[in-house]
Amino acid sequence: MTTASVTSRVGAASAAPTGGAPRHKPGGIRRRDRIVGLLAVLPAFLVVVGFMAFPVAFAVFISFTKTNGLRFEFRGLDNYIALLNDPIVHQVFLNNVTFLISVPLVIFTALIVSVLLFERVRGWKYFRVIFFLPNVLSVAVIGIMFRNAFGYYGGVNQALALFGIEPIQFFTNGSTAIAIIILALVWAGFGYQSLLLLAGLTSINPAVFEAAAIDGAGWWKRLWYITLPNIRRVLGFVFIINVIYTFSSLFGFVYVMTAGGPGFDTTTIDYLVYLRAFSSTNLGSGAALAVILFLFIGILTLIQNRVFKLGEDD
Amino acid sequence: MAEEDVVISKRISSSRTQWPIFIALLVVAATIIYPLYFVIITSFRPNSDYLQDPFGLPGVWTFENYLNLVNTYGIGQAFLNSLFVGTISVSIILVLASLAGYALAKLPVPGQKYITATFVSVMLIPGPVLIIPIYLMLARLEIVGSYTGLILVYVATGLPFATFFLTLSFRGIPDEVIEAARIDGAGFFRIMWSIIAPMGSSGLATLAVLQFLGAWNELIFAVILIPEESMRLLTPQLASIGERFLTDQPLVSAGLFITASVPLLLLAFASKYIMQGLQVGVSR
Repeated sequence: MTTASVTSRVGAASAAPTGGAPRHKPGGIRRRDRIVGLLAVLPAFLVVVGFMAFPVAFAVFISFTKTNGLRFEFRGLDNYIALLNDPIVHQVFLNNVTFLISVPLVIFTALIVSVLLFERVRGWKYFRVIFFLPNVLSVAVIGIMFRNAFGYYGGVNQALALFGIEPIQFFTNGSTAIAIIILALVWAGFGYQSLLLLAGLTSINPAVFEAAAIDGAGWWKRLWYITLPNIRRVLGFVFIINVIYTFSSLFGFVYVMTAGGPGFDTTTIDYLVYLRAFSSTNLGSGAALAVILFLFIGILTLIQNRVFKLGEDD
Repeated sequence: MAEEDVVISKRISSSRTQWPIFIALLVVAATIIYPLYFVIITSFRPNSDYLQDPFGLPGVWTFENYLNLVNTYGIGQAFLNSLFVGTISVSIILVLASLAGYALAKLPVPGQKYITATFVSVMLIPGPVLIIPIYLMLARLEIVGSYTGLILVYVATGLPFATFFLTLSFRGIPDEVIEAARIDGAGFFRIMWSIIAPMGSSGLATLAVLQFLGAWNELIFAVILIPEESMRLLTPQLASIGERFLTDQPLVSAGLFITASVPLLLLAFASKYIMQGLQVGVSR
């Protein structure tokens, strides 16, 4: 869930106040404060620049070269051109698009759950913690749990056997394998997102509901005409973080569940970056793919921020 | 479910529509709890017993799977390795992020706007972009295959959010308290230690839990940066066990439970902090 949570953090970040702490003090003390402040920020800043910002620049450089990691031969846009003409890249991109099916599924489930939680029935706080549970688990745990459950000897096949159905090899077929990864994504993601949506619901003015109730609007009418329109901004936000997540963070699931197979049927872009990085002689190709992914996600994020800025005005 | 909570919510809303909603929530909760329950129960039975009646309670209860994982497949060592890397990473993050967070919240740092912008924008970098350059950089520094490199990566990827989070939470500390301490002659570290740390302790605890979970659950860099089998962390070790023992569900289940145990314990005992951290993400 890292990307989803990181992105949501960034959503919060845009609200971060940036102004300093204006204080009226003699110049000498103020100057000393500036130096102390700078020194205090410096270690964190240097680590972040050195091991997050610089690597991105380095990745861009690598993407223009043919390299085994030791010798770099400048090749211009060759890697990018090769990628755009690579049928595997096309297939993998389409796989990612297929994984987008998970987005409406997760949002729909999360929406239902959030509306249920919003009723504040007995013990709703405990339900909240339970729904959040998958979020504290590693994708390795969730992925292996699902692969086990749908494995040849897994719970699902054992249950089918009770009805006399032969065991199904879910992971030898690309479509069923993708379906199971999508199921794992929904299971892992809906709880956190229902809490995001719940926060949106909570910020609706209760007077609106009361007024509607007095006017005789039933539960369903209130859901459709008041609740949903009022949280459309949060819904949009959740939609974008899901799309970003689908394109950048399926590595863990794919790694433990299918290793990208059968063939390249379940390989995603981020998994292909890993494959290109560690099983090919040209790291430049993997870096170019990563840069393309970065640009793509950057554009999505820009769209998200735009939508947010617009949304805040109304 | 605690008694008092039931009583309180009963008082708040006692409409007749409650029951269907409660039951619906219960069903959703079951889809989360049942798979975990199944894993836990399965992990305490021999494979033959599992295959006979997978959905019943075990005919034979055993710790065999756990002992096997610890003695033969090094899961105990991997557990300790993860604990070590997680603890060190979180400690470093807390120290560096507290310093930066205090400065950004309370001191006139030159170029503050740009520094904050840097912290915020690197949060957008997707993990896959970092794989190749980080690997090459650490290889150049000759720290691939050592925990130093991995901890460095965890610290670097954790710091942007940590700094941002602590800046926000330290901002809540009243300036007057800090001013008063200064007048009493307290220096920078004195203020950090006796005012910022205690007054921001809730934020620090939240951050510690979140970052520890992040490091404990991380997979990609743990796979790439630690090729040596004896040094592996828990998640890659679990992945390789899951891959090798497709036919032994109880054994893999035991591995799953071991890996999930620490996050589950944290959620059980620190859910307050975890939920608080969530609020920051949600607040906007």
